[in-house]
Amino acid sequence: MKKNYGYYYITPLALWLSLFFVIPLGIIFIFSFLEKGLYGGVNLHFSLAAYKALISPSLLKILWATLYMATASTFLIIMLALPTAYFIARSQHKNALLFLIIIPFWTNFLIRIYAWIAILGNNGFLNQFLLKLGLIHDYIQFLYNPLAVIIVITYTYLPFAILPLYSTIEKFDFSLLEAARDLGSSKFQSILLVLLPNIRSGIFSAVLFSFIPAFGAYAIPALVGGSSSFMLGNIIARELTVTRNWPLASAISTVLTLVTMLGVLVFMRQNSLSSRKQTKEPSTNNA
Amino acid sequence: MKTKAILMLLLVVTIFIGCSSDKKDTLYIYNWTYYIPDSIVKDFEHQYNVKVVYDVFSSNEEMFAKLKAGGKGYDVVFPSGDFVKIMIKEKMLASLDKSKLPNIKYLDKNVLAKISYDPGNLYSLPYMIGTAGIAVNKEKVANYEHSSNIFNRKDLQGKMTMLDDMREVLGLALKSLGYSVNTTDNQQLAQAQKVVQGWKQNILKFDAESFAKGFASGEFLVVQGYAENIFLEVDTPNRSHIEFFIPKEGSAMYIDNMVILKDSKNQDLAYAFINYIHEPQVYAKICDFLKLPAVNTESRKYIKEKPHYQLEDLKNCELKEDLGPDLEKYNKIWEEIRI
Repeated sequence: MKKNYGYYYITPLALWLSLFFVIPLGIIFIFSFLEKGLYGGVNLHFSLAAYKALISPSLLKILWATLYMATASTFLIIMLALPTAYFIARSQHKNALLFLIIIPFWTNFLIRIYAWIAILGNNGFLNQFLLKLGLIHDYIQFLYNPLAVIIVITYTYLPFAILPLYSTIEKFDFSLLEAARDLGSSKFQSILLVLLPNIRSGIFSAVLFSFIPAFGAYAIPALVGGSSSFMLGNIIARELTVTRNWPLASAISTVLTLVTMLGVLVFMRQNSLSSRKQTKEPSTNNA
Repeated sequence: MKTKAILMLLLVVTIFIGCSSDKKDTLYIYNWTYYIPDSIVKDFEHQYNVKVVYDVFSSNEEMFAKLKAGGKGYDVVFPSGDFVKIMIKEKMLASLDKSKLPNIKYLDKNVLAKISYDPGNLYSLPYMIGTAGIAVNKEKVANYEHSSNIFNRKDLQGKMTMLDDMREVLGLALKSLGYSVNTTDNQQLAQAQKVVQGWKQNILKFDAESFAKGFASGEFLVVQGYAENIFLEVDTPNRSHIEFFIPKEGSAMYIDNMVILKDSKNQDLAYAFINYIHEPQVYAKICDFLKLPAVNTESRKYIKEKPHYQLEDLKNCELKEDLGPDLEKYNKIWEEIRI
């Protein structure tokens, strides 16, 4: 008799996830519906105050700023990651190039942010370089504004987009591009109409892998943002510590989680749609 | 098969237990970053043949939120006065048995008299007293007063930072208007808000994390901050270019304290540590390291380095107090300023 060991295999993972993921998430969700304690913590009284406070203009402004910065950096990331991944996939030195993409992960993320401060600062390398070349006469303020946040987010999460894009582009049958050229499309058209639709799932994962962490960024806006470039992550930290409004912090986290989950659901739906389409196509071609 | 698996498991468990067990007593300390020189902690470990586990926080709020969220296991914590009051109210602190703290006799009576958050020091002993001041790069900034009005200077626009701390920034503004740093008067707060909004036009950012690095590299010319943080980043040869002053109008002052948590498992060792810190010669070494004024009168005989400021410089400063529910007023104003 063959025994089904499937459940045993998933037990450690299930335990791990419920301990460190489901339960904390549940706590956050419950806290968001409670009354705030005077010195932090919560009182066990049901209250919607946190969700009402969410609709304040200042929070909506930050939500907007966060969306803007996350979308802008995701756009930049995809624009940079696509050609990079394409180049790696077609290169003779794939492994070496992938290795180079992964190397930055060996250094702590915060240290890399400080490196950007050293590059972009008023006395930083970039300004000194431009001044030496005589292109500028006074330093340019690169740091401490939303643009700096976008640049550093783009830098940080670029590898997360390159890797899934690479893995789908690598599986792509490049003779299709030649076929498209044969049939009269220009180079640009063949990429737009043949390559991009075929690597759609890779693009979706790349968007998700860069948008989700960018949307929840905390350290980057705190370190390179200016006197009012806040993102939601910073507000959560602030509500948890300085203003001691744990329910509001939980409510923001809950909304963030929901938005993220929505993104993943849309992604999964799109993915299954496109794969269904792909399996259908050969039959229509045959007919 | 099964017994083998169980044996393996036992083996693994004993290995882990073997790693963590240690014959020495362990003292868990939760303190501000760079607030005690490592050598002092090492000396304490040697003298008492114990192990010290030393964790750090960068703000009272961070410390409080961690303890409140169930961060247990610390013996000695270093909260500021306003948080001592909150922690007393929240019944988080053990009351001190002063017979175990003979060095209490060295503490400056004038400082003790100012303590309103814990009258009679039933739960806390002061560690350091100080205030945020303003540091100026003298090489590039000339003709300035020792006043917070330096943040009004348009010619320094984009080259100044202030702390990302509403009590410090609003406190400075309130003091510049001649009000208390603990005011809850709406009118006074509104005036202070206007002052800060004016400053905001000129400063580059509110930053309590990395401003000192930027100041040391010459990127910022005027910064509000704590002397010990700023001078830590500046190399000794460059220190002559820097002036650190406490605004003549005064600012928000703090006293950081040592307390023992109620659920501390090693109270005797905690007492020993607190008492050790106030050994005059030990305390003098800490003051030489931090260059802050000593609250331990006896230690003043052994101090070699000149502190960044003296106790007398703090005469116009005022201790921050816990505002209770009125903190909401400050939150709201700060939100309007920042966002």
